[in-house]
This record gives sequence, structure tokens and C-alpha cells, in this order.
Amino acid sequence: MTKLLDLKGIYVHRGSEECLKDIHLSISSGEKVALLGQSGAGKTTLLAIANGTLQPNTGIVKWRGIKLSDLSASQRRKIATLWQDLRLVEELTVAQNINAGALGQHNLFWALGNLLGLIERQACLAYLEATGLEGKFLDVSVQDLSGGQRQRVAIARVLRQHAELLLADEPLSGLDPKLTTEVLQLLLGKKVIHSINIPETCLISLHRPDLLQHFNRVIGLKKGQIVLDCSTNNLAPYEIHALYEER
Amino acid sequence: MRQPNLAAPIITILPALALIPVISSVLAGAHNGGLNILYRFLSASIQPSLEPIVLQSAWRGIQITIATALLGWVISTLIGTILGLLSSNIFWQVFELSQWKGSLLRKLLAIPRSIHELIWGLLLLQLFGISQWVAIIAICIPYSCLVARVLSDQIDSLDHRALIALQQSGASPFSALITTLVPSMIPVINSYGGYQLECALRGATILGVFGLGGVGTELQLTLQSLEFREMWTSLWMLGVVMISFETFLNWYRQYPPLTNKYEKQLLVFIGAILTTIIISILWLKILDVNLVSTFKWHPSPLPTIVEMKEAFHELPLITLIGTTILLTILAAGFSIGLPPLGMMLWPTKTGAIIQSSIWSLLRLIPPPLSALLLLLCTNPNISVAALALGLQNLGVMGRLLKEGISHQSNNLYIAIHSSGSNNRLAWLYGHLSPYSSSYLAYAAYRTDVLLRETAVVGVVGGVGLGWQLQESISSFNWPQVIWITTAYSILTLIGESLSRKVRQYWIKSTTKDPQILFFQK
Amino acid sequence: MISTTRRWFLFSSLLFTALIFANRLSWAQQTLFVSAIPDQHPEKLNRLYGLLSSELSKKLDVPVRYIPVTNYPAAVSAFRTGNLDLVWFGGLTGVQARIQRPGAKVLAQRDIDPEFQSVFIANSASRIPVLQNQSELIHLKGKRFTFGSQSSTSGRLMPQHFLQQVGIKLSDFKGKRPGFSGSHDATLALVQSGSYEAGVLNKQVWEANIKKGKVDKSKVILIWETPPYPDYHWLVQPDLDERFGKRFTNKLQETLLGLSKNSTKQSKILSLFGANRFIKAYDYQYIDIERIGRQLGKIK
Repeated sequence: MTKLLDLKGIYVHRGSEECLKDIHLSISSGEKVALLGQSGAGKTTLLAIANGTLQPNTGIVKWRGIKLSDLSASQRRKIATLWQDLRLVEELTVAQNINAGALGQHNLFWALGNLLGLIERQACLAYLEATGLEGKFLDVSVQDLSGGQRQRVAIARVLRQHAELLLADEPLSGLDPKLTTEVLQLLLGKKVIHSINIPETCLISLHRPDLLQHFNRVIGLKKGQIVLDCSTNNLAPYEIHALYEER
Repeated sequence: MRQPNLAAPIITILPALALIPVISSVLAGAHNGGLNILYRFLSASIQPSLEPIVLQSAWRGIQITIATALLGWVISTLIGTILGLLSSNIFWQVFELSQWKGSLLRKLLAIPRSIHELIWGLLLLQLFGISQWVAIIAICIPYSCLVARVLSDQIDSLDHRALIALQQSGASPFSALITTLVPSMIPVINSYGGYQLECALRGATILGVFGLGGVGTELQLTLQSLEFREMWTSLWMLGVVMISFETFLNWYRQYPPLTNKYEKQLLVFIGAILTTIIISILWLKILDVNLVSTFKWHPSPLPTIVEMKEAFHELPLITLIGTTILLTILAAGFSIGLPPLGMMLWPTKTGAIIQSSIWSLLRLIPPPLSALLLLLCTNPNISVAALALGLQNLGVMGRLLKEGISHQSNNLYIAIHSSGSNNRLAWLYGHLSPYSSSYLAYAAYRTDVLLRETAVVGVVGGVGLGWQLQESISSFNWPQVIWITTAYSILTLIGESLSRKVRQYWIKSTTKDPQILFFQK
Repeated sequence: MISTTRRWFLFSSLLFTALIFANRLSWAQQTLFVSAIPDQHPEKLNRLYGLLSSELSKKLDVPVRYIPVTNYPAAVSAFRTGNLDLVWFGGLTGVQARIQRPGAKVLAQRDIDPEFQSVFIANSASRIPVLQNQSELIHLKGKRFTFGSQSSTSGRLMPQHFLQQVGIKLSDFKGKRPGFSGSHDATLALVQSGSYEAGVLNKQVWEANIKKGKVDKSKVILIWETPPYPDYHWLVQPDLDERFGKRFTNKLQETLLGLSKNSTKQSKILSLFGANRFIKAYDYQYIDIERIGRQLGKIK
């Protein structure tokens, strides 16, 4: 198993508040990691550190042994992020948003062509259908979609990126039970779809201890610190409760 | 903290008080000696000269003006877009470079922007000799800086999370930038560009009045020779062109297939840019306007420090600046206050139609020409210059008021009207009141524009920096020219920051340019 | 959609190439660039300049192109930069142009130009009397007074000089400054209307307006004629012989001097300039103008 992501001695503070304290964490290929913790425990911050959009105050983050800040664009593209706020380009259509996930594999002209809606609609269709949305949505502007539909467009965009590691920030919140399972299956690569390359490795933050059986490792955050890191097989229920207790 | 709702509409009307000193001094000097000339001017409007040679020359003039305006507009839109991107904070952030370069560029661009296109035209004429490019570049310099500022403000006020997400996913900075910015900026460029096109047309006309060719030259020459019938030939043509531009742009802004589809807007934008460049260059070529051969660089030797010192002492700068400011305040006052006052006093349908046609006419006549016409009926003083300058802006403010009010809902007006108040009060509280803070914010911006425009009416009665600039240029006194241009620039920069503050006061929730707010409605 | 874009690019690049070629071709032969700012009805010359350029072209056997210029300083600059080869200048602007372009030659002037005059006029209501001599210009003190264009010799420079000779400064007029109407016709109209109590314009325009019946003698009167001074003239670049062949400058001069009222076409040209014929002119005629220009700050 190759070590993909490696966080060492991470500290993050905003003002006097400490968001993350002394985080040591490494994720190897093939691992499906669930990230648990109360709201405000530092899950979003940890994911931002992991994808490089936030610089830690101290500590080092490495991807395959190279510091994140030194990664080339083509290496950076191996880390995909499904943001909690989705971060779709509102004015663009579904197809253009999905294609935006592939910008890292193409040049500026491709990006221009995508803006004009000229590029690879067929490919988008496969990703869109993988997330359970119908093809008729391809040309709809994302601002006209419902919350659940938008979430699935964001997932399609992440898949389009062909990454090795998927970081997802509460991808299941706001989904109905049926959709929750479907999306989770998809993100964890348990639903096999031809021609779509789903990242083998993932770090997904969530609030649902009942879904842990789909993962093989759990990390618990409390007040910015890792208080739990073990395989799902060895997990005792009280350990989960402890995460959500006030104190 | 909101202003009490009643205060703002009253404040919109208050500036009209500037009319009191202006009108009283104009009336005090009024005489009937010029009435017959004025009568000749007005009666010539219904019998413009239709001699083939006059028609031909006016037609040629109007074509040169349109082609110049188009070319100046399209180039400044392109350059402005690039500069706008370069001077936004986000651009430097995305490339992980220090942002001071962006803000430095933004500050530097304020300088060329602070100088009116006419001054640029007169200066460039000295450096490059006679070429239609001088007019085109003179329009380009301030306009591209203006577009740049509007765009960079707009870009920095956007939500950048999607941009960060795309960049994190491995997209190159440029790809990420265009994917997130183009869709939201294209509508802005499209609507703001339309407005700029109208300004460019007025700018090209003014440049013509000062001898840079086109219909403005035709107007100026015929007016100076008091050949009113020939003048009206050009004026009517200009009017038809202006009104069809305004109508077209209005239609275009609201054209349903384009309002939501940014892709079509992008195609229209690229198409419009390419066609405009090609058509206007070919057009000037067909008109036999020399575009290429005459464009050479001919600098004058730089003045020495001693000469600069000498020139500084020769110029009565304090007086010049003082009169320039006074001129701005008077002109701004009545051009801001009069449209709402007029609409309030005469709110009927007929009233609105008559007033808006008067506004159209006022937008049409370049200030130096109205100044000369006014001078025929009254004694020369600063009020004449203020009146001439203010009248064109009155036309602009009037149209803005009309369109702004027509965009808002009628419910309040109906409610107030049905509660038994008379037409005037219903108009004041129902129509003006909800719109007044945007109107005032825009008015602050317009005052800024007016300050720059004082350059064009200086000649009348020898008032202000504008007049002195003309005089110094005609004496080829470069040190003086440098001082005056600097004074103008500083004055405008101060004015701009003041008007920004005022605007923020009236539109607290946003830092956007009121121009943009207006067109986004 | 792709093909539309591609067609666009193809189309535009073709056009650009065509443009460049068109320019090359038009540049093959040396062209004589001519311009003029007449004092009277400049808009007419702007429309009829074809007459002048075709006549010159025919006589000189070179392509002639008329460049319309309407603003005095612009014409001076264009002459300095070499954009214009032959220009009809006023006295002051001609001197300004010669100083900025050393070696430029004075070619010709109209028969009336060696002894040109300005006239001071007044609105009858102003109660300014007809002046007996120059010293009585004092009557103009404290009046609303207007010149013509800022760079005009007859509408500004010489009148200001004659005023200064009797001790009247620009700040002695009402409002502490004179007006600048922009043209001779406008000066007449503004004084006749009463907006200005007095003004000054060139005598030729004044007389032409009397002839056309545009002067209402009950409203505006002539109060003083200035002493004569030289005014308008044709000025050429110093290097025409090198560019167009030996003796070209002389040929040009002869052509101008040869324009006569006997030919209909030439007569039309002469009347555009308000001339009976053109006569030889010399640099030395304008020494006084230069001195006065320097005195009044119009020449550095």
C-alpha cells in the first residue's frame, strides 16, 4: 500500500482560536476513511489543509512524498474535493460544470471551448447518469436545479477529474435516505460503472455513525484534535458517543 | 442605518437650487439682441439645407464620427477588459503573486482616467500630428481605464469559491479564471459596453468640434459661420444616429433570448468585437481617411525645470481651479435637480413625453455649441458656461430618471394615488422616493464626469482650466500645458474619491458602480 | 458551431491582409499634402477642396491630397510633424509653424494680405463713439469685449497689440477678461446681438457681411480701423525639391501665382480664399508679427 497523503504536526489557528492541534495523519491507497466529529470540530479545516487550499500555521502536508505547495497542476489534480458548499459555477450549464472537473487535463482552448458549450457532451452524460440524473439536465443552468440535483452535479464534476484521492465534506447532508445510500455507494466505488474511474481512496466527513460499515477506517476529531483513529472493525460504540459529548 | 425615506427624494430635488444663481445671472444679462439669430437657428431646424454638397459632407462627417467612435469603443473594451483583469486582486491571488502589483496598477490607471478625452485628443494631436488615430486613441485611453475600473471592482466583488475549487482540482490559473469569470462578466461587459458606446459617440463628436474630424467639425464650422440651415443638416443626422443607437441598445439589453444565455452573449460579444473592428477600419478606409501612413511619433523637447517654474508662476492656478469647481457645482446642481423637479411639477403622460423629448434634444447638442447659442442671448459669465455644460448632462440624468422609474413596480404609486393625494405628491412619494437613493448615487458619479467635462466649455467667457488649456496649447507653451493637465488630473482624482464616498453613503449595501447597478436591473 | 468560428477567423484574417495591401499600394507614389484654414466660411473649402487639389495635381503632375484641418494649433503641429506639405496659414500661425519647422518657405499671399486690417466694432447701445485715433481705444476699458479665435492674427494678435500700445490690458475689460468668440462671423453676431459691447474682426469678413446685408447698421457700428499689417500666406516644407524633384517649390509658387479669375475653376478656388489673385510673399514681411507674438506670449 502506497502512502498517498501525509500530514505531520499540523497546527491551524484563526486569531487566538486553535482550529487544529498537532494533527498527524496519513492515508494510504485503497483506504476508505470516515471523518467524524461535531460541527466546529475542525473537519472542514482538516479537509482544506488536505487539499492545499489552506496553509497550516505549522506542520507539513505531503502528497506521495512531495510537499503540497510544490505540486504541479497535474499532480494536484489527483486530489479531488467535493465541497460542502459545492462551489459550482452558477451561470454555467450542468454539462459545462461537469467538464470543469477536467480542466486540469486540458489547455486553455479546451476551457474556452467548454465555455461556448462545444466540448465533450457525450462524456458528461455518462458521469451525469452515474449520479442518477437524467440526460435532459445537461443543458440546464445549475442555478435552476434543486439542492439534491446540484449535489449530484458536483459529484459528477469530481468524478470527471479522474483523481486518486477523494476528499468530501459532508456529501450526504440534505439527501433523502434512498439517495444517501446511492451517493455513498458511488463515492466509495462500490457501484461499478463502466468507463468511469472512481477514486480508490477517500476521506469523507459525515455525521452518520450508522453508515460507518461502508468504510474501513474512522477518524474522530474533537476540538481540533484527533481523538480516534482506528479500523471500523475494532470500533466500540462508546468511542463514537464520546466524540459527540460536550466537555 | 437607513435614511428616513422622505429625506432622499427631497434631496434629489434640492440641487435644483443651483438654478437660482444660474438663471438669475443669465436673466440679468439677457437681452433681445440675439433673438433674431436664435429665431433663425430655431426656424432653420425645420428647413435644414438639402443641397447635395452639404448633405454629402454631413453624411461623410457622420460616418467618420461613427467609425471613430466604434473603433475607439471596441479597442477600449478589449484593452479595458484585460486591464480590468490585471488590476483585480483575484488575478494576482490566483497566480500566487503579491497583490500590490494589482493595486498599484489600479492606482496608476486612475491617472489617465482622470483626464477628459478632449485633452488627450489635443495633446496627442501635438505628438502625432494629424491622423484619425489621434481621435481613436484619445477615446481609448480614458475609456479603457474606465472599463478596467468597473470590471476590476466587479471581479473582486464576486464569490470566488468556485474559482478556488477549480484551481484546487488542477486547472491552470487561466482556465480556472475564464471558466468562473467569463460567465458572470460577459453580461456586465455587454450592458456596460453599450453605455460606453453611447459615450464614445458623444466623445467622438466633441473631438470633432475641436477639429479632429467628423460631424463635430462640420457642426463647429457651420455654427461659426452662422450657417444654421447647414448646421441642422448635420444635427439632424447626428440626432437620428444617436436615437437609433439608444433605441437599439435598449432593445438589446432587454432582448429576451440574450438576457439569460451567457453563451449567446459571449458569441455576440466576440462577433460584435470582430465585426466592429473590421467594419470600422474598412469604413474609414472607404471614406478615404488616412489611418496608417500619417501616424508617426513627433515629440517636442521636454521643458526644463526653470521653464516649468516660470510657467507655474505665470498661471493663476488658484483662480482657474476655483472657477472650474464653481462651474462644476453649478452645472451639477441643476442637471441633477431639474429632472425630478420637472417630472414632479408635470407628472402627466403628455408632460413625461414632452420632457423626455427635450432631454433627447439636450443630449444631442455638444456643450460648446449650446454655449455659443446661449451667448447670443445673454452676457458672458460663468453661468453661461455652467448652463451649456449642464444642459447636456440634464438630458443624461433625465433619461436615467425615466428609465430607473420605469423599471420599478407601480404599486406604491397606485397605493398613494388611490389614497387621495394629487398627481404631484403621488409621483414624488410613489415614484421618486423608492428610486431616489440610486438616483443620488448616480448623480454623485455624474458630478465626477462633469468635473472632467469642464474642459470642453472653458472657451466660453474664458472660464476655468479648460480655457487656459486652449490658450496655452495655441501658444505652444508646453510647461503651462503640463501644469494645467496635472491640475486637472489632481482635481478629478480628489473629486472622484469624494463622489465615491457620497455614493457609498447612498448605496450602503454595495460598493458596485451605480452604472452597473443601473444596467443590471 | 466550430465551423462558424473558424469561418470568422478566416474571413477576418483575409480582410486584414487585404487592408495591408491596400495601404501598400496607396503609398507607392509621393503625395503632396495640402491644407488650409481660411478665415471665411471654412466649411465651404472643406467641401470643395477637390477643386484645389485637382488643380494643383494637374499643374504639378503629382498626386495631391487635401487634409481638412479646422484648428489652428493642429495645423501648426501637423506642419511641424511633416504631415502637411503646403498650408494656408494666418500671420501668427505661419510664424509659429516656421519657428517649429526651420527652413520652411513663405510662398505666396493674397493681394490684400500685405496690407491687411482689422476693424473694431461696437454695439450701438454701448454708447461707444466712433474713435478718432488709436489712443481713443481707451473707451473700450470696462466694456464687455470679444476677440475671435485665440490664434487668429486679425481677430486677436494684432488687435491685442494695438490695445496694448495705448495701455489696455486684457484684464481691463469687464469681467476682468475678454471673450473669444471662436470666429470672425461669431464676433460680429455676438456684438450685434449685444452680448458683447464691442469686438474686433478682420476687415474682409466685415465688408463681406455688409455686402450680403447681414450687418444691421442700427445695432452695430464700425468704430476704428487698425493700421495695416501682413497676414495670411502659403507656407511650404523646406524639403519639397528633394522629394518631388528639382525646382518643385518654384513650380508650386508659380502655380499659385498663376491662378487667375479668367478660368472658371481657378476663379472658384480664388473665391474660396477670398482672393483676387495670389502674389509673392517674403519672410521679412512677418518680422513684426513674430516680435509682437513674442511680446504677447503667443510665441515662446
